[in-house]
Amino acid sequence: MKRTLTVCPYCGTGCMFYLVSDSGRLIGVEPSTTHPVSRGGLCVKGWNAFGFVHHPDRLTTPLIRRDGKLHPASWDEALGLVAERLREIQERHGADSLMFASSAKATNEENYLLMKLARGVFGTNNIDHCARLCHSSTVTGLAETFGSGAMTNSIDCFDNTDLILIIGSNTTEQHPLIGSRILKAARRGTKLIVADNRLIRLARHADLHLRHNNGSDVALLNAMMQVIIAEGLEDREFIAARCENFEAFAASIADWTPERAAPLTGLQPGEIVAAARLFAGAKRAMIVYSMGITQHSHGVDNVRCCAALAMLTGNVGRPGTGVNPLRGQNNVQGGCDMGALPDVFSGYQKVSDPMVREKFTRAWGVDALPSTPGLPLTRAMDAAAEGKLHGMFFMGENPILSDPDQGHARHALKNLDFLVVQDIFLTETAALADVVLPAACYAEKEGTFTNTERRIQRVRKGVEPPGEAKADWEIICALAKQAGCDKMHYPDPSAVMDEIASVTPIYGGISYDRLDPLGLQWPCPDRDHPGTPILHIGRFNRGKGRFSPVIYRSPAELPDEEFPFVLTTGRTYFHWHTGTMTRRTHLLDREERRSFIEINPDDAARLGVRERDDVLIASRRGSVRAQARITGIVIPGVVFMPFHFTEGAANALTNNVLDPESSIPEFKVCAVQVRKAP
Amino acid sequence: MKYLSNEQIPDFFSSLQATHEVRLPIMLPDGTRCLGHPGDGTVALFGGALPAKPTAAFFPHEGPVFVAASEGFTEPSAPEKPLLVVGFTSRDLACLRFIDRFFAEGWRDDIYFRNRQGALVVGVSGYCGPGGASLALADGDCDFELVWDRTRWLVVSHTGAGSAIVEGLAETVSDGTLERLRKEMAVYEDENEKAIRRASELIRADRVPDTFWSEIGDRCIACTGCNLACPTCTCFGVQDWRYAGRVKRSRMWDSCQLDGFMREASGHNPLGTEGLRTRRRIHHKLAADPDRWGEISCFVCGRCDAVCPTGIGIFAVARELIERFGNI
Amino acid sequence: MSSSADGTTASLYVPVDCEIIAVSDLTPHEKLFRLRLKNGAPLGHLPGQFVQVSLLGWEEAPISVASSPTRTDYFEMGIRRTGSLTSAMHELTAGDLIGVRGPFGRPFELPKLRGHDLLLISGGCGLAPLRSLIHYCEDRPEEFGALTILYGAKSPGDVLFKDDFALWETSARFACSRTVDQVPEGDCYSGGVGLITSLIPPLEIDPHRTVAVLVGPPVMYRAVIAELKKKGLSSDRIVVSLERHMRCGVGKCGHCTIEHLYCCQDGPVFWLNEIEHLRGAL
Ligand SMILES: Cc1cc2nc3c(=O)[nH]c(=O)nc-3n(C[C@H](O)[C@H](O)[C@H](O)COP(=O)(O)OP(=O)(O)OC[C@H]3O[C@@H](n4cnc5c(N)ncnc54)[C@H](O)[C@@H]3O)c2cc1C
Ligand code: SF4
Ligand code: SF4
Ligand code: SF4
Ligand code: FES
Repeated sequence: MKRTLTVCPYCGTGCMFYLVSDSGRLIGVEPSTTHPVSRGGLCVKGWNAFGFVHHPDRLTTPLIRRDGKLHPASWDEALGLVAERLREIQERHGADSLMFASSAKATNEENYLLMKLARGVFGTNNIDHCARLCHSSTVTGLAETFGSGAMTNSIDCFDNTDLILIIGSNTTEQHPLIGSRILKAARRGTKLIVADNRLIRLARHADLHLRHNNGSDVALLNAMMQVIIAEGLEDREFIAARCENFEAFAASIADWTPERAAPLTGLQPGEIVAAARLFAGAKRAMIVYSMGITQHSHGVDNVRCCAALAMLTGNVGRPGTGVNPLRGQNNVQGGCDMGALPDVFSGYQKVSDPMVREKFTRAWGVDALPSTPGLPLTRAMDAAAEGKLHGMFFMGENPILSDPDQGHARHALKNLDFLVVQDIFLTETAALADVVLPAACYAEKEGTFTNTERRIQRVRKGVEPPGEAKADWEIICALAKQAGCDKMHYPDPSAVMDEIASVTPIYGGISYDRLDPLGLQWPCPDRDHPGTPILHIGRFNRGKGRFSPVIYRSPAELPDEEFPFVLTTGRTYFHWHTGTMTRRTHLLDREERRSFIEINPDDAARLGVRERDDVLIASRRGSVRAQARITGIVIPGVVFMPFHFTEGAANALTNNVLDPESSIPEFKVCAVQVRKAP
Repeated sequence: MKYLSNEQIPDFFSSLQATHEVRLPIMLPDGTRCLGHPGDGTVALFGGALPAKPTAAFFPHEGPVFVAASEGFTEPSAPEKPLLVVGFTSRDLACLRFIDRFFAEGWRDDIYFRNRQGALVVGVSGYCGPGGASLALADGDCDFELVWDRTRWLVVSHTGAGSAIVEGLAETVSDGTLERLRKEMAVYEDENEKAIRRASELIRADRVPDTFWSEIGDRCIACTGCNLACPTCTCFGVQDWRYAGRVKRSRMWDSCQLDGFMREASGHNPLGTEGLRTRRRIHHKLAADPDRWGEISCFVCGRCDAVCPTGIGIFAVARELIERFGNI
Repeated sequence: MSSSADGTTASLYVPVDCEIIAVSDLTPHEKLFRLRLKNGAPLGHLPGQFVQVSLLGWEEAPISVASSPTRTDYFEMGIRRTGSLTSAMHELTAGDLIGVRGPFGRPFELPKLRGHDLLLISGGCGLAPLRSLIHYCEDRPEEFGALTILYGAKSPGDVLFKDDFALWETSARFACSRTVDQVPEGDCYSGGVGLITSLIPPLEIDPHRTVAVLVGPPVMYRAVIAELKKKGLSSDRIVVSLERHMRCGVGKCGHCTIEHLYCCQDGPVFWLNEIEHLRGAL
């Protein structure tokens, strides 16, 4: 019997638990009782997080495509081939014809190393990861307004606040141990405003539930702020002392009356007024949001509005306040922090800044580093489809299921000269690869994850990886060596973290010996710094908080006669993204075994669809089959579908239209038709 | 009577490893206590009930049913040495007694008894609860019991096997300490236990409307923690994994708080709403099991309340239920 | 505890090998499997009992024995394709091996049925378990009074055991009626149409001599029971067989409970008066 303290591999809440193993096999988990987030509890995914680790489908050896089929190969062969082909493409078409996709599932160290490999070894800034698909709008929007694109406050703040506005986050399902905090807070009298047209669990406990139309968040938030200013409820002292550009902003929303917003949002003006008064009346108010805000073609604008609402009411920089984007993946915060992004090195240091490049050039011992920002993942797929990109390296990503417009993604990847996928299972994407590299999963390696409240926590090895699978960091270093770089040697991930700390100011004080037992929250600039639970106290990271006026834009594709429903996509409680792990976990798989679609009883009756009937859902891009779930959770005219299922893939339908600033796709709104399957 | 000083505890249990597979409470790096081998960490007998159920030593979260290959079936083997598990409070021991009965009655669950048969069970009681609080004496249900009288562990054996193990220990005079402790522990009336009994009466008298269960169900995030933490929750699921040339069948803890728990292939689901599932969680312990087994199967160990992220463990529900329906 | 082929006692959870002798189609979704234990022993079941069918890699599913213990050379199961195990089962053919554990569960209580008029009512897939009792009655007609078979299916295409039914219809021992809920257009079906409940009012029943045995989907029970009660049948003269999610068949996994009862142990066959007051039983 052995117990290994580690971090949950699923959501960004970052619960910690012990993996229990016996003779090298995992046999269960036990929650940490002292952990500040999980406090002795876990959600169903955490409790079952050991369940897929020894699955027979795990990849155990490198695979190379020969004659159209994947064949087992040795590590030397596989990595040799990868290095050779990537170099070849680099030479023939230029470094920027390569793209590296890092992973929010991988550790900080691994994200850092892949970013170093892309920039330092292959000389391209074409590196990104799935944060592009979830919170790139946050990174852009909050960096512009506050100076830091992360959750401003800590999870503990939910225990000490007067009001929580939840907009576009189904928290009890997607961040269950944060959702449960909110539920408990509501029981103690904290006011809840839920702005979400699905009747999510938190809505059942809300003081005010606003079921506004999908994609009308800017209208709703602008109108709330208009009411606050018109009624003189804003925090003038805070605005004067700590913010800039208020006058222009106030002018920009002056005509956003609730009456104007009402038809766009589908709400009564009175509801908007009530929400505005309730929010402005709270001493401490927190805004919580997630994909419902970010995954729009105007995602950055949504974020700007959230930031403005918080500043307008003085709800930044104090306990129990703030703008709190809940990061989806276990380490999507870390992936961003580590610079697995096309425009920044670790710690959000811009590649375009010569001083920064100079620093990294010296630290890494390379001659030069590329200075123009690379391609975001979503644009890279377009480039691949157009034949402008020739080689891609995916570490732990499954874009065939996770990217919008599946047909497009498949075409893009097939169009490449060379595709490498490093993963723990043979995913839909790996099945298309020229080389597949078998990786260790979270339970089989050392490292750190950074959770949504910026807490850097230790991931520890509980059992050996299956067969010849290796940790991602080992694979990257071995590949660097094959590619002729002799500077990426590390005895273990803690040495990588030491390097990260030396070049990344916000991680400056991080080292493994300080992370026991419960982690540190960045910014943590030096070894004596205790970490930072709350950002922007006394001063915004960028100096003054900036009010950024936004112009309302409707979603790119609205329902019409032919495609009369709004499709909104998301996750279910039991599955994780493309289901590679959860669909191989017995209990989780049993809970949701098929693709389904939530449809309102009125709509179902009109279409003659009964509970559990199969329906066909079609958009301009594709058509899939799913089971009907008839429920008042969705309003008439809107259907909801999870994207976990390869058979019945929601992303065969979604619209690959991108936010112009953050390149996030509009996963949350597209137009579809629904009919009973024959 | 035998006794052990606190300093002697690690060595005493280490010495038993020659003949037994010893598991006892140890302290993990973050302050979580768990069952481990002597030597895995500092012994942590103090602090009351362990956060994870000690019955997991016999019925683990996931365990093999068999491995099937062309040669036939390989069943899980019994531990090489019999288990010796330390750290059961009197409440845990009551839970163990209950599940022993459950697994033995009717079809005897041989997988459980492979671990359980011949195992030695050691209780802890006395002033070793959280912050020195008192833990009631078990006075049975185990092979021997360690009773902390604030200066030493009195070693009270309850079975022949227990006596044999502690035989070599030093004798102390029977000075009435044990009797005194027993009396002192008895004066503490357990509010939670009273609430559980009262809630059971109310549920069995049909005084609790369905709306109550749906309201509580609204607050349940279906994390399954309450079931997984409970020593008398024994439900399991079964899973087959196909490896090249063999199939491994295993079973793992399951939870009635999940929609799929009773859902049939036809879609029919006797526990198809959150309200019904919440009712089942409480009703099963406080009404169904008394009907079947003659006793309430919640032995007030407190784990489900500790583990529930939304504050609706059985004590919390019992109290709310009594407050609302206790005086009608 | 079950015994393995070589006679040593194996785990309760280890299945025994069982050979498929024949497979035939009942409907497009249902197949009939004829089986024999590999060690040649009879299954040893009673009508109404079930076995845990075990397919390595697909776990287990409870399936009723659809044949009577009076026919000892083999036993039969009618299996509807609903999910992973049952689909895998449908791929199998004569000569293939499967595993079974059991028989489990409480059978129809023959001693209490003997000497009575029996009203054998089934809907849909429910005819499979009831068939074990009907076959028993066929083989031991002297044990019972008047025997009436009522069967309802969704549509003509869903009717099970057509050949059996033809025999029962011509047998002097049985009075048979069957009906389908609806007939799709263009189907040349000649039997009765309507819900199974419509078959009950015309019957002549002596409520003091009669026991009704019901096996069918959950929706059927309430309606049929109401009709039977109108005929004066009391709850202690109505037998039902209930379906529940089952993982173990032996009272341990907890999936099949109905309040304090375990459907796999205390059932699946119940007298109505044992369960009608229990929440969620019907
Ligand atoms: C006492 C009894 C007798 C039965 N007799 C027959 C019979 O004679 N013929 C027949 O075709 N079917 C019968 N069934 C139903 C049959 O057990 C299910 O159709 C079968 O379990 C579906 O398994 P699957 O793997 O194919 O379906 P999937 O949809 O892949 O799995 C369904 C899930 O439900 C679980 N499950 C467990 N028990 C049941 C259950 N009772 N009903 C539905 N799902 C269940 C399965 O294990 C699985 O987890 C009987 C059920 C019971 C309880
Ligand atoms: S809340 Fe998130 S981090 Fe915590 S156990 Fe659940 S999935 Fe894991
Ligand atoms: S207190 Fe909770 S965990 Fe403990 S026995 Fe009772 S129900 Fe189970
Ligand atoms: S522990 Fe609480 S939230 Fe989790 S399943 Fe049980 S009652 Fe629900
Ligand atoms: S089927 Fe497992 S307890 Fe009844």
